[in-house]
Amino acid sequence: MNARQALGRAAEDAAAHHLEERGWRLLARNVRIGRGELDIIARRGAVLAFVEVKARRTSSCGAPEDAVDPRKRRQIARLAELWLGARPWALEGVTDVRFDIVSVDAGVVPSRVRHLPAAFTCDG
Amino acid sequence: MLARIASEALSGLEGHPVEVEADVVAAAPAFSIVGLPDAAVQESRERVRAAIVNSAFKFPSRRITVNLAPADLRKQGPSFDLPIALAFLVATGQATDGCDGRGPIAAVGELGLDGSLRPVAGALALAQSLRRRGVRGLLLPAANAAEASLVPGLEVYPGRTLTEAVAQLAAGGGEVAAPADLEALLRGGEGDGADLADIAGQHGAKRALEVAVAGAHNILMTGPPGAGKTMLARRLPGIMPPLTAAEAIEVTRIFSVAGLLPPEMPLVTRRPFRAPHHTISSVGLVGGGGTPRPGEVSLAHLGVLFLDEFPEFRLSALEALRQPLEDGEITISRRLTSLTFPARIMLVAAMNPCPCGYLGDREHDCTCPAHRVRQYAARLSGPLLDRIDLRIDVPRVAPRDRRDPSPAEASAEVRARVVLAREAQLRRLRGTGAYANAHMAPRDVRRLCVVDRDGIALLDQAYDRLRLSARACDRVVKVAQTIADLAGAQTIVVGHIAESLSYRTRSAVEL
Repeated sequence: MNARQALGRAAEDAAAHHLEERGWRLLARNVRIGRGELDIIARRGAVLAFVEVKARRTSSCGAPEDAVDPRKRRQIARLAELWLGARPWALEGVTDVRFDIVSVDAGVVPSRVRHLPAAFTCDG
Repeated sequence: MLARIASEALSGLEGHPVEVEADVVAAAPAFSIVGLPDAAVQESRERVRAAIVNSAFKFPSRRITVNLAPADLRKQGPSFDLPIALAFLVATGQATDGCDGRGPIAAVGELGLDGSLRPVAGALALAQSLRRRGVRGLLLPAANAAEASLVPGLEVYPGRTLTEAVAQLAAGGGEVAAPADLEALLRGGEGDGADLADIAGQHGAKRALEVAVAGAHNILMTGPPGAGKTMLARRLPGIMPPLTAAEAIEVTRIFSVAGLLPPEMPLVTRRPFRAPHHTISSVGLVGGGGTPRPGEVSLAHLGVLFLDEFPEFRLSALEALRQPLEDGEITISRRLTSLTFPARIMLVAAMNPCPCGYLGDREHDCTCPAHRVRQYAARLSGPLLDRIDLRIDVPRVAPRDRRDPSPAEASAEVRARVVLAREAQLRRLRGTGAYANAHMAPRDVRRLCVVDRDGIALLDQAYDRLRLSARACDRVVKVAQTIADLAGAQTIVVGHIAESLSYRTRSAVEL
């Protein structure tokens, strides 16, 4: 594991912890489908969220949602559809399906976590 | 959950029913619009999303599919914003459709990002088509309410914002706009201040214009720059018979579809006067385009189309004028549809006698070489000139006339005579389908126009000496009939024929 992967892993742990503290139940982490990966799939009440975790070393590079470019957004949306398609039961009791972004700012201690709900949709 | 809201799409001047369906399900979030939408309808997603959030409604993260049925009709423009937003709000349980029992109401309107409702084009045409299909009412932006309520028998529910529209829908059409008082609107909107009395002299031209208007004849004025051709033309709507209520509605419908209806004016009350520049394209003049829109001939429907610098217009544009001049309407054919716009106009053309403008002038010398004069005049084709019954010279005003302090005759007096002459024509033309002498078929000219013996003699003489064609002869009789109608005469006498012949000047045009 190189330094960048380590940073990503640490950020995902911080994001997962942050979500669990706020009542989210984690359904899956690091779901690999083909070449892509969904970082976190979480559920709270009637909301199912596909969470993309972004690690930032500094906060000077702009907002976390800017770090997920349109290609990445389309990829996540497609992977989510595939994941849901294989597990129709995952939508039981669900009303809203969201794509969230959690950014973890590792430049400070303790790291700062920001959660952006419904950051994007299938159409951008 | 699925919700439906009725709406209406505009195609040409006609409305077509469109059902807006919104399906909202728990799935990966997306917002798609299907049903042959154009770019403006696709952009509706962003406006609807912002308007809903800014009106304090929720835009949940779900899969939203909007279908505009029927799927084979092209949907254009922003007027589906409101029905899409309402269908979405009903589908997500944030609004209720309170229309059950009394039949659905239709909704149209453009949304601003703040949730305000903006006026749409063609509200009158949409309202008329809804009324014909027996739809109970129309929910639309408040700025369109006065226009839509010109249609009797259709309830109009105005809303200034999305929130107000939701309240109207929940009440099944709560607050109804007062029906418009057509007669009061018509009476209130007369006169634009331009009067024939403003023009000194030009008695010959004024008389010719009176004859032209009385019989709905097309007219061509030839004269040097500054002679007053444009001033005279502008005053024509003022001597035409006032618009009837039905005609005002027809004109308003076209202006509304073209998006030219001023916001504070729900009804066009004056006959239109359109004066397009001579650089206009043929599509701009007769209508058309990818999504066919009415052209200047249709915007001048029931009024005056004034073409200044007549020979400078593109040949394609002038030739395109022939069909509407003949049929009183213009048909535009496209791959999937064919649209008809009305175009019953009086064509008033003006031109200089030559490129420099001074051919035949008393004080200026013409500097044009002879071949340039011929080229200039040759741009006007015979078939087009054939449709212009009166051709007159408009010389510069003589100095004596210009100083004449006695007031000229006012437009209202001329109009009174025109109205009487038109009434006489309507009585005579009953059953022929024509409404004025200019539109008589050759058969009707021979059957209905009674010329006395001296008149016939003069006509025969002109036929020989001036080498008139048979069609030109018919035109002379038609114009003479109008002159007789203005005089209140039962038969056409030699004087009427003589005056009619004087309106066929062989100026540069036919050299």
